[in-house]
Amino acid sequence: MHQRGKNDGKACGILNGLFKMGESNEDIEQMFSNLLGEMDLLTQSLGVDILPPPDPKPPRVEFNYSVGFKDLNESLNALEDQDLDALMADLVADISEAEQRTIQAQKETPQKQPQSASLCVPSFSGTASLGYGANVAATSQYDDDLPPPPADPVLDLPLPPPPPGPISQEEEEAQAKADKIKLALEKLKEAKVKKLVVKIHMNDNSSKSLMVDERQLARDVLDNLFEKTHCDCNVDWCLYEIYPELQIERFFEDHENVVEILSDWTRDTENKLLFLEKKEKYAVFKNPQNFYLDNKGKKENKETNEKMNAKNKESLLEESFCGTSVIVPELEGALYLKEDGKKSWKRRYFLLRASGIYYVPKGKTKTSRDLACFIQFENVNIYYGIQCKMKYKAPTDYCFVLKHPQIQKESQYIKYLCCDDARALSQWVTGIRIAKYGKTLYDNYQRATAKAGLASRWTNLGTVNAVPPAPPSTGVKTDPTQANGQLPQATQSMNTALGEDWRHLETTKDKKPDPGLGSHDPGAPRAQPLPKSSLPPPPPPVRRSSDVGGGSPGTPPKAKGAAARFPAPPDDLLPPPPPPPPPVEDDELPPPPPDFNDTPPDFVPPPPPSFAGDLGFPLPPPPPPPPALAPESVRTPPMTVKRPPPPPKRQENPGPPGGGGGEQDFMSDLMKALQKKRGNMS
Amino acid sequence: MAGMKTATGDYIDSSWELRVFIGEEDPEAESLTLRVTGESHIGGVLLKIVEEIKRKQDWSDHAIWWEQKRQWLLQTHWTLDKYGILADARLFFGPQHRPVILRLPNRRALRLRASFSQPLFQAMVAICRLLSIRHPEELSLLRAPEKEKKKKKEKEPEEEVYDLTKVVLVGGVAPASFRGMPAHFSDSAQTEACYHMLSRPQPPPDPLLLQRLPRPSSLLDKTQLHSRWLDSSRCLMQQGIKAGDTLWLRFKYYSFFDLDPKTDPVRLTQLYEQARWDLLLEEIDCTEEEMMVFAALQYHINKLSQSGEVDEPAGTDSGLDDLDAALSNLEVKLEGSAPTDMLDSLTTIPELKDHLRIFRPRKLTLKGYRQHWVVFKETTLSYYKSQEEAPGDPIQQLNLKGCEVVPDVNVSGQKFCIKLLVPSPEGMSEIYLRCQDEQQYARWMAGCRLASKGRTMADSSYSSEVQAILAFLSLQRTGGGGGGSGNHPQGPDASAEGLNPYGLVAPRFQRKFKAKQLTPRILEAHQNVAQLSLSEAQLRFIQAWQSLPDFGISYVVVRFKGSRKDEILGIANNRLIRIDLSVGDVVKTWRFSNMRQWNVNWDIRQVAIEFDEHINVAFSCVSASCRIVHEYIGGYIFLSTRERARGEELDEDLFLQLTGGHEAF
Repeated sequence: MHQRGKNDGKACGILNGLFKMGESNEDIEQMFSNLLGEMDLLTQSLGVDILPPPDPKPPRVEFNYSVGFKDLNESLNALEDQDLDALMADLVADISEAEQRTIQAQKETPQKQPQSASLCVPSFSGTASLGYGANVAATSQYDDDLPPPPADPVLDLPLPPPPPGPISQEEEEAQAKADKIKLALEKLKEAKVKKLVVKIHMNDNSSKSLMVDERQLARDVLDNLFEKTHCDCNVDWCLYEIYPELQIERFFEDHENVVEILSDWTRDTENKLLFLEKKEKYAVFKNPQNFYLDNKGKKENKETNEKMNAKNKESLLEESFCGTSVIVPELEGALYLKEDGKKSWKRRYFLLRASGIYYVPKGKTKTSRDLACFIQFENVNIYYGIQCKMKYKAPTDYCFVLKHPQIQKESQYIKYLCCDDARALSQWVTGIRIAKYGKTLYDNYQRATAKAGLASRWTNLGTVNAVPPAPPSTGVKTDPTQANGQLPQATQSMNTALGEDWRHLETTKDKKPDPGLGSHDPGAPRAQPLPKSSLPPPPPPVRRSSDVGGGSPGTPPKAKGAAARFPAPPDDLLPPPPPPPPPVEDDELPPPPPDFNDTPPDFVPPPPPSFAGDLGFPLPPPPPPPPALAPESVRTPPMTVKRPPPPPKRQENPGPPGGGGGEQDFMSDLMKALQKKRGNMS
Repeated sequence: MAGMKTATGDYIDSSWELRVFIGEEDPEAESLTLRVTGESHIGGVLLKIVEEIKRKQDWSDHAIWWEQKRQWLLQTHWTLDKYGILADARLFFGPQHRPVILRLPNRRALRLRASFSQPLFQAMVAICRLLSIRHPEELSLLRAPEKEKKKKKEKEPEEEVYDLTKVVLVGGVAPASFRGMPAHFSDSAQTEACYHMLSRPQPPPDPLLLQRLPRPSSLLDKTQLHSRWLDSSRCLMQQGIKAGDTLWLRFKYYSFFDLDPKTDPVRLTQLYEQARWDLLLEEIDCTEEEMMVFAALQYHINKLSQSGEVDEPAGTDSGLDDLDAALSNLEVKLEGSAPTDMLDSLTTIPELKDHLRIFRPRKLTLKGYRQHWVVFKETTLSYYKSQEEAPGDPIQQLNLKGCEVVPDVNVSGQKFCIKLLVPSPEGMSEIYLRCQDEQQYARWMAGCRLASKGRTMADSSYSSEVQAILAFLSLQRTGGGGGGSGNHPQGPDASAEGLNPYGLVAPRFQRKFKAKQLTPRILEAHQNVAQLSLSEAQLRFIQAWQSLPDFGISYVVVRFKGSRKDEILGIANNRLIRIDLSVGDVVKTWRFSNMRQWNVNWDIRQVAIEFDEHINVAFSCVSASCRIVHEYIGGYIFLSTRERARGEELDEDLFLQLTGGHEAF
């Protein structure tokens, strides 16, 4: 799963509230149009080279919009800094990806090279810093292809923005954010990866804005929200969509693609997305007997059901979900069906089968051969109907609704069914979900439990230590103030890269703690005291890393101290901020192991030999930061001057590692194949 | 040894004469007489027999069968006394392995040598090893029904019987694979053919034959099959099986462990065949919609196995050219995302533009089809008043992603319509496209189908889709449509590669629908499975079969203690079900997981089961012997223990302990 999340602890950011849209000056616009022009050029040339019918512009008009906001601008503003950065990183990734394509395609045509090369330069550093597993190959490849420093000639493009030269820091930051937003707006239009800025309503009537890209599943978004809200991460949390107009609602299954679902909403929709806990979500896995062994409500059975022990539950689940095919609970009974377009309800005898819902036609028996198909699940989602009694004169309020996800208005194609009681409703809804999603549901649950288990351990620890989950966020916030130049960018790219790698780890192994999560809870408490005393106040980056190295191998608490340290220093030192975050992530992880037995296996290597281990491990972060840091910290003053140029660069930096990485591979596959094919033909 | 005599010829030891018949149980078998004493060991007797026969031959497989006691004398170190053999014992000296004809789940006949002396469980292990079917514990043998034999004689006297009697397996070693099949099959063309028969799905049966085959008409009928299971703890000989008899090989326990397409081609295929015949012969009921899916899968599987794509298209990638591979790779990674990703900039997406007649049913409109200029690009269908207006705004634009595509075709009537049910925020909008001819129809139809799945016509499957639709149309022209074969199912080869829907559905659907009604529905369902490889399709079939509510239930007529009427006991892999005989309703379900113990009173043929909470159930078995019920229960318990003990090793003792009757000990 490509995803960017885990942005906590990121060093780069922008002073809050400094953003003023009006400030965008001509230079910036100039720069963007240049950049865009170049993009066009590249795509154009690409088109010419590869395809007979050149298709200079992406044919489709991306319809990116935000959900829950009036306009895109507003929604972008609502984004937290990290998210905005991430968005930028993604967008830039798309650009550089296009470049790389061109580069590869046009190795033979040298004139183009400089341009693309220059654009890509930054991306090298990005990839280099990544240096992780699979990425390594790609990086080296690029290195061969492209001379890193050609920047100068072409740099004029990106350079323009800096000219503003001596601007006050604040202005600069404001401008930077303006840049970002503007660029984001631009890029959103042509971004290859569709992204939505989504407003998610919380339990407490507050809301959070989140950027969701089209590759993210509900699970990823939940993880993201866990980080942001510091909730208990239990398995009941879900994304919940509400259709006020239709009075229906449902929770997303963890494997559902969020952007895809939201894309079905109309632009002016009143639909809302909530983040809340629903016991029903995984009820079947907590008490499978209620769904699988319910013998039509016979009392004797109910009693035994209550008593079912964990072992029996487990074997029941295994039997139901782990066989060659999933067993759909046997479910049948009379339900009320709302007649199309009317407010009348007809009672019918329905049966649930793996292939759909059937009913017994009049005068027939309920044997398989007589059943008539009512609906199959391929093209419908299941929703709870809310207050159907009032709205449609339903016999009871226990309604469920089946509709095609794209239908947003009242329609005869929406099917309303009404159960006698809550128990039946929950059985039907769950049964239908099992029939529709099969084993995926169980996989989702297992992922969710793994996540929850981990999280609960973290939080336990956190509470013991009485640690406010502040460190990371403060770190982020403070950092931004100073960090504006490329440095933040670099770190960010690392962060995102890390995030991705984490994700890989998470999927391959069980569940790992999110870097972000990890950082808050456990790390903070103990860390505070230690770092302050032990840390040299203005630790030059390099030094710090060595410090870390010394600290982490030691006892767990010490390691933690190291982790916590990072957030702290930023407060004191303006320049270094950027670098710390990445190391924080690295180091944070190690500490947990000692405390939690489960986590270590995956991460055993890193903790003890923090630095050496990192190197041995294909951990990219260490190498890159030092170089970046060194210059920065040393020349804090020049930074202002220097900063301008970086912005453009920085965008490229994050690019490849962040969004481009995944696609690169098959893009290059594709290119190779195309070339091959062309070669064959000619 | 025995036989010391005085000069007068009197025996001075306590020796006596033992008569042994040579050969299989046959009153007229030649016999010879040996002089033995009670202390003679069986091994010695065997040796003597062989000496007496004076024929050079491999006797190693021979052993003595004691007819009266129905017992093999296999303990060579035991003495005659220990066995209790006296002079009146009728002993037969014959081979332990004898040929039998197995009717496989795919209804083909196969002759092989089975052990007549080992408990059936062990014999099955050997048979399955020969057939390279893993997990032999799931299979068993049934006696062939008598009446079936008569029928067979009248209709198909010359049925091909595959022969594996000459194949010898080296003991102990796992059969090595050679040329894509277990090495022991690769010896000759004949055995190779046999392996193909085992590992490849059979073509659909002749619909006429299908109609004639007996089908259960009630639950009661379904119990009959289960009265014929052989006893796993006794050998074939003890169960009255003779050399050359026909036995049915079937999966007995519906709990298929670790089904793996890669390692189990034969097992998967035979399981598929059993499932297929279960459905075709209405041993298990399904709904119409389900039957269409089953039919589509069969159709697909047939197509694949006939086109020779048998060898797992795991190498699909190598089959495609690089570009396709890269594209499909890309597609996979982008799955679900807008079809307009970077594909677009790299490949042109073919689009369709043409004059089509369009009909949009609306309330209060009587308008019929109207000619429009229709442009189909990517997944979007736009139509204009005329071609000239095309650059402008279309009258309507529909994104077909997620829509429902229904063919509405009548070849003989030259009607080629596509009905689209396109979801939109307001509901589903219905629209009909009417094409002029087959070619046009095929192209548009294929485009619509791909678009409904979010793919464009640039998709690699587009052209094959077009071809499939054309083939289907021509089928309708020659077959279902033109032949007027309404209720007369055609023979199996009415259309060579085509689709005779009657061979794919249970006879009751043959009666219910005409072929030309069935065909489109099957092809529609085929859309969803067309991408599957052979083994995937078989697996899907099996899964769908397993998902049927009545799957895996073996029925027996029983009488519960205290009840006056017969009832049905359904035995499934996790539960026992008490079913009302007349209505077919489930009265009560008991799960094995709650079972404490079960006992069999062999004298009164009663099975007593105790469940948790002191629930006791007892019943006597009517349609089948209580041995069969007992073995079913024990067998399922045994199978449920497999999960933990991974691997293929079998705890035979445990199995026999769980399933064996008192006579086993």
